[in-house]
Amino acid sequence: MTNAVACNTAELLAILMSREVRDREISACGAISMIPASAMLLAEATHAPNAEIIVLGSEQLSRDLGKDIHFLSQRGKLDLFFHSAIQFDAEGNFNLHVIGDPNRPDVRMPGGYGSGLMSYTAKRILFFRTEHTRRTFVEKVDFVSGAGRTPPSIRRPQEPFLIFTPLAVLRFDRQEGRYSLASVHEGHTPQEVQERTGFSLGSLDGVPVTPPPTNEEITTLRTVVKQRMIETGTYPEWAVTELQPA
Amino acid sequence: MGVPYIPVRGLAGTDVFKRRDDMLIAPNPFDPSEETVVALAQNPDVAILHALRADRDGNALLRKHGEDVMIAQASHRVIVTAEEIVNRVTADDEGGQFISAINVTAVVHAPHGAHPTAVPGRYDTDRDHILEYVRASTGDDAFRAYLAKYVLGKSEAEYQALVRGGVPVAGGGGS
Repeated sequence: MTNAVACNTAELLAILMSREVRDREISACGAISMIPASAMLLAEATHAPNAEIIVLGSEQLSRDLGKDIHFLSQRGKLDLFFHSAIQFDAEGNFNLHVIGDPNRPDVRMPGGYGSGLMSYTAKRILFFRTEHTRRTFVEKVDFVSGAGRTPPSIRRPQEPFLIFTPLAVLRFDRQEGRYSLASVHEGHTPQEVQERTGFSLGSLDGVPVTPPPTNEEITTLRTVVKQRMIETGTYPEWAVTELQPA
Repeated sequence: MGVPYIPVRGLAGTDVFKRRDDMLIAPNPFDPSEETVVALAQNPDVAILHALRADRDGNALLRKHGEDVMIAQASHRVIVTAEEIVNRVTADDEGGQFISAINVTAVVHAPHGAHPTAVPGRYDTDRDHILEYVRASTGDDAFRAYLAKYVLGKSEAEYQALVRGGVPVAGGGGS
């Protein structure tokens, strides 16, 4: 059994995203963001001990920011922001508002704010989704909460964004306006990922395998990070339930 | 602030503009090669804000976090409901954000008035009640039943008795 199999989805996504958190940068996630919170804490406990971490849903790690997080991001000083969405489409748009007709939605989501502002102003965006299906990756989103591409008159960081799923890491190039497969996790194939995605992922040749979670990452997540989440009031119930015993 | 509109970065290309006419994309007047969102000022006719405490003139200590002070400054009339009424609230008081009486139209003594949300240090969020409200809000009949049970024809004392399991609110509201 490989390590990747031994992790549950939350742990896998937390470990893979933790690798994108850089030392001495400012990284943040919004409220109800358990996986990003654990990802940032794992980064801090491993390769990024001086990372500035902001967890808006946390009792102790939200840094009493209030409006400051908005102003920080508007000034272009937020290096990394974590995001989820219910749909992504071929144009790089995402939806965090509604499923169905916006006037009579089947499901209404809370995500108007972060979508429309943080995803335009943070330097790098990491998306994540705990399922990889054609209902998530669609030809056209039901509602554009954030646009993948904007005209040059809109001043905005042009870094590609990444989407982490239980199968793969997708990469969207904002200049070229298309997706590619950054890597595919152990136990899955590029063809399978394409099959479960409602738009083209480009070439399926030569796609690297995602480096699987290491024993150190898994152990640190299940001990140091779990303890830290409990002690700091950072989704303690989630940490106990989702992060497995060491 | 009293400004007619404010620029903000973000939102370009979203469907938000299809549903709102109070935001649009406009050139930056100092650098026309850039465009930003321009949002119309929001000036509510009336704001109702819950305070930790207030005095009879209308000086009040609003919750520590959040945008309550800005909302008060933007609104034409401001009603402050307060956990307790005290002799004097000043800008030096600790535990919340001060708002001057000059912004406040009326003060209401409303202990436990934030229910079902929380006043930190006094009482917690009533999660069960919020769940009940969310369930009720999924349909017209369910919501009418909710209103009949808690709101229509009910006095504040009756509401508080219902939601607090029959325990009446003590004068200061503290717990």
